[in-house]
Amino acid sequence: MQPKTGAMIYHKTVIILTALILGMPIAATVLYSFATNWGPTILPDGLTLKWFETLLAEPRFLMALGRSLLICFATLLFSTLLVLPMVFAVFYYFPRLKDVMEVIIILPFAVPPVVSSVGLLQLFAGDPVPIVGTPWILIGTYFTITVPFMYRALANGLEGINLKDLIDAAHLLGANTFTAFMRCILPNLNRALLASLFISFSFLMGEFVFANILVGTRFETLQIYLYTKRMTSGHLNAAIVTTYFFLTLALTWAAMYLSRPRTEKPVEDE
Amino acid sequence: MAFGATRSKKLSASTIGHGLLLVPFALFFIVFEIVPMIWVAVTAFFVEETEAWGLGNFVEILGDAFYLQSFTNSLSLSFWSAFIGLLISAFAAASLQKVPGRMREWMVSFTNMTSNFAGVPLAFAFIIILGFNGSLTLLLKQLGIIENFNVYGIQGLFLIYTYFQIPLGLLLLFPAFSALKPEWEEAAFTMGASRLEYWIRVAIPVMLPALLGTLTILFANAMGAYASAYALTVGNYNLVTIRIGQLVVGDIFFQPNMAAALSVLLIIILSFVTAIYRFLLRRSYHAA
Amino acid sequence: MSTDNQHYVSVRALSKSFEEQHVFENLDFDIAKGEFVTLLGPSGCGKSTLLRCLAGLEQPDTGSISVDGVDITRAKAQKRGIGMVFQSYALFPNMTVTENIAFGLKMQRVAASEIASRVERGVALVELQGNEKKYPHQLSGGQKQRVALARALVTEPRILLLDEPLSALDARIRRSLREQIREIQKDLHLTTVFVTHDQEEAMTISDRIFLMSKGKIVQKATPDEIYLNPINEFAARFIGSYNLLTRDQARDVLGFETTCGLIAVRPESIYIAQDGGLYPPSCSRPVKAVIDSHQLLGNVIRYRARLAGDLFLTVDVMNRSSSRLVEPGAEVSLLFNMAEIRPLSE
Repeated sequence: MQPKTGAMIYHKTVIILTALILGMPIAATVLYSFATNWGPTILPDGLTLKWFETLLAEPRFLMALGRSLLICFATLLFSTLLVLPMVFAVFYYFPRLKDVMEVIIILPFAVPPVVSSVGLLQLFAGDPVPIVGTPWILIGTYFTITVPFMYRALANGLEGINLKDLIDAAHLLGANTFTAFMRCILPNLNRALLASLFISFSFLMGEFVFANILVGTRFETLQIYLYTKRMTSGHLNAAIVTTYFFLTLALTWAAMYLSRPRTEKPVEDE
Repeated sequence: MAFGATRSKKLSASTIGHGLLLVPFALFFIVFEIVPMIWVAVTAFFVEETEAWGLGNFVEILGDAFYLQSFTNSLSLSFWSAFIGLLISAFAAASLQKVPGRMREWMVSFTNMTSNFAGVPLAFAFIIILGFNGSLTLLLKQLGIIENFNVYGIQGLFLIYTYFQIPLGLLLLFPAFSALKPEWEEAAFTMGASRLEYWIRVAIPVMLPALLGTLTILFANAMGAYASAYALTVGNYNLVTIRIGQLVVGDIFFQPNMAAALSVLLIIILSFVTAIYRFLLRRSYHAA
Repeated sequence: MSTDNQHYVSVRALSKSFEEQHVFENLDFDIAKGEFVTLLGPSGCGKSTLLRCLAGLEQPDTGSISVDGVDITRAKAQKRGIGMVFQSYALFPNMTVTENIAFGLKMQRVAASEIASRVERGVALVELQGNEKKYPHQLSGGQKQRVALARALVTEPRILLLDEPLSALDARIRRSLREQIREIQKDLHLTTVFVTHDQEEAMTISDRIFLMSKGKIVQKATPDEIYLNPINEFAARFIGSYNLLTRDQARDVLGFETTCGLIAVRPESIYIAQDGGLYPPSCSRPVKAVIDSHQLLGNVIRYRARLAGDLFLTVDVMNRSSSRLVEPGAEVSLLFNMAEIRPLSE
């Protein structure tokens, strides 16, 4: 039933209002980062790029950005190497572990990072594995953050294809399991894998809790750097936030683009 | 060929070989997720002052007004932000079903992107628009709507928490609302029901599991949040997660066992809420 | 205000477009009180949209709909006194059978005790006793549709609308349920509009059929009428398995002259000449043909015969033990009942 015009106006208004609520902090920050001066007035006095220029010349910012990117890339590589074989093994050899996995991927959400940090800080502060304050502990904890996203995406991808049949067909044609996986299965998972990598990336770039509690300024990521600038110029902060936000925007958009359903229709039989 | 013999072995060489694919993942996940969990659960029961095991930490927490306040603050903030966030996202999700396709796709993309805008950057954005000299603060003061607004306290926290609940709620509820078949509304109309009666008698009851489930997730999300609150209030507002953080990091207040005990209580609360949700779910009808 | 019972439902000049495309245009018809009318046609012919306009779920662009003399064109669906059964049942999943059936009565603010008794009668009417406390997901398709029917009927509507209610069901359930619907309708003397694309269904239960194609009502007639006298090529093709011959073919094969472009011949109007057979006196001279194939349809054997000029015709013969099955490849003589040949105007 087509909603009548009055109803449609209501629905569109609701959506626009919600979008405004969600967009306002973002828009204000972006505007602030381009503003010359924004005193107690509704709109800024003028526009400028100087904050971004200052930012890009600030070595500490660039270092922090570099560290964040480094950690994120390293974690994603690490996660992929660990999760891919695991998902394949679960789906192909140990399907009964699927239920166990469903519980496991809830843990990073059920246990807030601040709680994990209590244990992590104690366990890794000294011997035998003194990684607190180093990027290594970040890689380890960031890995656990990516697990739900990557498992979910890869599992969904594998549910969609008939894993056993594909591998069997490959075997019959002479391939061993590893080759079958690399050449026949993995290419089909590419989109799902990439989408989950982008989502994880944007999540990790925004991570603060582990970074703050476990390493602090000893390995200053973008978020830690941002926090330390809390009391300084709002415009510069706004520029940092805007940079971070557009980065996230690009990543999320890329993830969504990759996860869109295939639009090719199969050719119909005559 | 010894077909039967191979089948009867439970732990054959190939099973171990295949299991090796799981080992790296399991190792690191256990080390970085499971072990800390267990550590926290265990050390909560070790009381530092007396160097003995027992419920001392919990007793202290329950007897300390300050700790109790952190719980009431967290519970209140989490519940209200989840509730208001749910209301807003429910209305938005319901309308999202009805708007034209392009607007719908755009809104879903937009919501996806804003759901990442949390933590420190979000806190800064709120400070910019709602701080003492923020443009929205000034606008609202000019319109006479607010007098004194402190974004660095509970008011700001409530707004920021509600803000990041909305995209999450919307993304969770949007597919749930598509389970509402238009024929139900039409059938109700032909039988004399007004739109409101349809919603009260059919739509909301059908949606109840999804609504409650989302409320539970939003509540848990808020209870566990740390970054936004920390960045906005610099730890000046008394929340459970802030307390936990301070007890572990601080040089002055270094009490990891108390932090563990607080954590255990937090997890108990979350489990309790989840259990209530599952109980309610089982009590209601099961939709096909 | 009582009107002529023949015009209990009156539709005039009804048109509807959707996004620049006409769904239907300038429809005019009347339905008598207690009449069972079927809107029959292929998908996309506009029949469902027409039904939904009658229900008030869609708004026509122009024209009028009146029931019992009162114009209801702009009335809300809630106020039309209409009961509707949907193809997908549309049962409320959060309510039991009893609660679903009682819903309309609750909306009418009927007293609780009366609701109980009317629901009980409704359940008995559709023979679902014992299932009152079940939820929709616990019922079979046929049971769900019966609940939907009871739910529409207990409110004592003045018109019953059914939108392809049997399409989603098994063949066997479909047959028994459609007979049940027809019986109930007759008992209650309820004005009914039924939408389907299945011509067999339409032929069995309707008082009248409105045959629709591309937004127009092609023919309004009793099932008998439509079957014996299809008004044009579309009707002839849609109803039954009519043989259609061009004017030239009619002349060459049958010696039948006509000004119309096509003639329609029913399969049972053609006989396979056999020794000792008795055929109507209005039959043509024998026409040579070769049997191409046959299908055993239970009580009818359907032959496909090839005539001169590569003309294929369907011939239906009653399956009597006395008639032998003619094998493919056999040469036969066909007799055409000329009195039953129908020239088509379009």
